Amino acid sequence: MNVVIVYLLLLKATLTSFSGLASLPMVRNDFVLRYHALTDRQLNTAVAAGRVGPGPLGIYVVSVGYLVDGIPGAIAGWLAMITPAFLIIPMIRFLGSRAEHPRAKAVTRAVLLAGAGLLASASAPLARDAITGPLSFTVVVASLIFISLTRIDSLWIMLGAALAGLIAFQL
Amino acid sequence: MPQARLGEITRLFFRVGTTVFGGGNPGIAVLQREFDRREWLSQERFALSFGLARLTPGTNFLAFCAATGWYLRGIGGALIAVLGTTIPASVLVVWLTLAGEQGNRYPLTRSIIGALLAAGVGTMLGAAVLLVRSQCSRSKWVRPLIIAVGAFVLARAAGLSPLSVIGIAAAAGFFWTES
Repeated sequence: MNVVIVYLLLLKATLTSFSGLASLPMVRNDFVLRYHALTDRQLNTAVAAGRVGPGPLGIYVVSVGYLVDGIPGAIAGWLAMITPAFLIIPMIRFLGSRAEHPRAKAVTRAVLLAGAGLLASASAPLARDAITGPLSFTVVVASLIFISLTRIDSLWIMLGAALAGLIAFQL
Repeated sequence: MPQARLGEITRLFFRVGTTVFGGGNPGIAVLQREFDRREWLSQERFALSFGLARLTPGTNFLAFCAATGWYLRGIGGALIAVLGTTIPASVLVVWLTLAGEQGNRYPLTRSIIGALLAAGVGTMLGAAVLLVRSQCSRSKWVRPLIIAVGAFVLARAAGLSPLSVIGIAAAAGFFWTES
């Protein structure tokens, strides 16, 4: 896939989302369903790689770019991730206090909530690929509980999952 | 307020990009502590950066870095803040992806990666729950829940594209404001 197309598709996803993983449904729609440039398993690998390392959650798009087109794709993913961030500078200069307008806040909140619904929707096909037995099912449920009910750093959850995989292999 | 030097800004954001795990919120917490300790940024500017970052498309944390970097040293500061936070982490994520892909050839690493993928799904669902919960309060939970569930149904059952769902949600937010 052409690296410019990779950049534009990832940019479309990042420009239309308002939190790190909220771009995932659009990424899946374009790269998995429309262009078949990725499998659900590869997309899941990208999400896991983004969660294990430091940095923002949206960094998984770098991994997506890499899986689609190697190092040039990773650079395209990185550019697509950072480009929207600079929109805040004109916003600070020209919007300022208007951002506190109730209607502007209501629209942002609604988009954020739609992102949550889309995230849950996108995780369904990924779950079909990831849940292969009782262990993986337990890991899904445990990580869901730890993420939503505790303040444990997600790095520890990933390390715990890796340890569970290691123990399962030894058994 | 003392003016931050470009080298100091680079070091701070590079450190946050390489040592802070768990997404943007822990990163913002670390930066807030450092800005406060070094007296680089007023509370008002910090609050405006934080608020507008939520309205900026893409990764909120990177928008926050761009805004605070811009306050510290103009456009150069914004560039350094975003590059310093993302370049080392991006190199690491590519390496982790490569390790994940190659690891599929061996049974041991396949078992570990399988568990990591499952954890990835769990964290995505957990992130969705957290997003909804962050917008709910004891008295105001119906609207957030309806919008989130509605988006899920529109995407899953009606098969609408994410862009269409976001557009519908934005319209709902515009016309259906909370009293």
